[in-house]
Amino acid sequence: MYTISHILSHSPVATVTALAEQVLQQYPAEAVTMISGPRVAMVQLRMQESVANSVFNAGEILVTEARLELNGTFGFGMIIGNDPTFATALAVIDAALRLPGDPHADLHTTINILGDQLSTNHQRQFAAANSTKVEFDVF
Amino acid sequence: MGYIAARGGTTAILNAEQLVEYLRLQGGSTPLELIQIRDQLRHAVGRAMNEGALYAPMLAALAVKQAEGDSIEASFLLRAYRSTLSRIMPTLPISGEAMRCMRRISASFKDIPGGQMLGPSQDYQIRLLNNLIASETAESVTAVLAAYELLVDAGMSADGAIGHFPKVADYMRQQQMIAPLPSEPDTSEPYDITRTAISFPCPRSARLQSLAQGDTGCLLTYAYSSVRGYGDAHPTLAELRFGYLPIQVAHPLTGEAITIGEISATECEIVSKAHSVAAKQSTPRFNLGYGFTFGHGEVKAISMAILDSVLTQAKAKGLSGESGPAANEEFVLLHSDGIEASGFTAHYKLPHYVTFEADLKVLDRAREHTATQSQTRLQEIATRTQEASA
Repeated sequence: MYTISHILSHSPVATVTALAEQVLQQYPAEAVTMISGPRVAMVQLRMQESVANSVFNAGEILVTEARLELNGTFGFGMIIGNDPTFATALAVIDAALRLPGDPHADLHTTINILGDQLSTNHQRQFAAANSTKVEFDVF
Repeated sequence: MGYIAARGGTTAILNAEQLVEYLRLQGGSTPLELIQIRDQLRHAVGRAMNEGALYAPMLAALAVKQAEGDSIEASFLLRAYRSTLSRIMPTLPISGEAMRCMRRISASFKDIPGGQMLGPSQDYQIRLLNNLIASETAESVTAVLAAYELLVDAGMSADGAIGHFPKVADYMRQQQMIAPLPSEPDTSEPYDITRTAISFPCPRSARLQSLAQGDTGCLLTYAYSSVRGYGDAHPTLAELRFGYLPIQVAHPLTGEAITIGEISATECEIVSKAHSVAAKQSTPRFNLGYGFTFGHGEVKAISMAILDSVLTQAKAKGLSGESGPAANEEFVLLHSDGIEASGFTAHYKLPHYVTFEADLKVLDRAREHTATQSQTRLQEIATRTQEASA
């Protein structure tokens, strides 16, 4: 249901960091090269409005971004907010899942579990809102 | 008094800053933690973010604390901070349809696809001060959290729903109540008022960006004026939704969509019967207006949607400003930025000794001129009186 980036960006930073560390333990320190960041910056929110189906700039969003190479493979991490650890961990996992031969396929097991947890959290959050659904009586 | 060149005041300014800090803390109360402000003053945080045009809840909490609750000052602090950051990229365009809704209501139809959900709202409460909040304890907080679990149980559905709903506006389009969407999507780069000063007539994207960062009170006033009598707007709420929007950017290597988290946001569509029968339309239809804010800002989103509707109608009929002040796009957009307006107003507190000295000289000359004229008139009267008596 959710993409990997959707699951990871909605998961606790400690869990995502632990996943990244699980990857890094398999490489020497010099296997990781930071290309840029982690740095705090902005992305410009593009909203698609419903009157003319046009796009407008609705404001900026504070993000943290990291770009790196893991064993020569590019990795990109970006997260809303000021969280360099989170952004770096996302970049490590992004690179790990792109490495030739898929040496980190085992990550998918944990990511799937996080996806299930996220789905449950979203369902619970909606359920609370759904309890306020209006039942109209017609006279 | 002649021309006075002045300098100094540094010590006074530094001491004034210390006095501000003293006034904030003189009561000896426990300093507010940012996380408390973010969680418990979410409307203040949301307002600072949408008027500061920067989604950053913790920084907004800091701004609210530093500004001692002054909403314009808090948004000013955020917007100033924004200017120190670089912009990496735009997000991928996102529609409100992708929102995980926590609240969704319509005043147009009782039965909307998916139903109406009141969500977290104080709209239906009697406006009485709640003394229980004044004396909250750990036990009362626990009770609230336990009550939430009961709500979860009450609203849990078997279909795994998470709050995605179709738009009421789409239903109205299907029923041909409002104009269809353009057959070709507008793929032009949206105007960016942070990079290019707005000029008139302006594109729709500039209008919406400007309104989205406008002052809540100002938008409310303009929209209210148009509804109450200085205009001809008759809005009806098609849909108001509050919830969480997933944000995506393009991966710099592959271009695939990458989710980077979600933001809380409010979106609103207004239909208006004002000028619903536009001259160039073959079929009479309602007009639609759009509003959007960061956080939970319903009054601002509704006001923005009303103004969007009013301005669209005024532009379509070439009647800018003739249906009241709120129908004048240049007037509305150039005066609705709270930071610009407050900055200009506040600048009158700064020394104006030289310009005021010039004003004084003009005043002196005017007085001399008036005195000379009076003297001349008196002399004329005296002369005529002497001539008459002779």
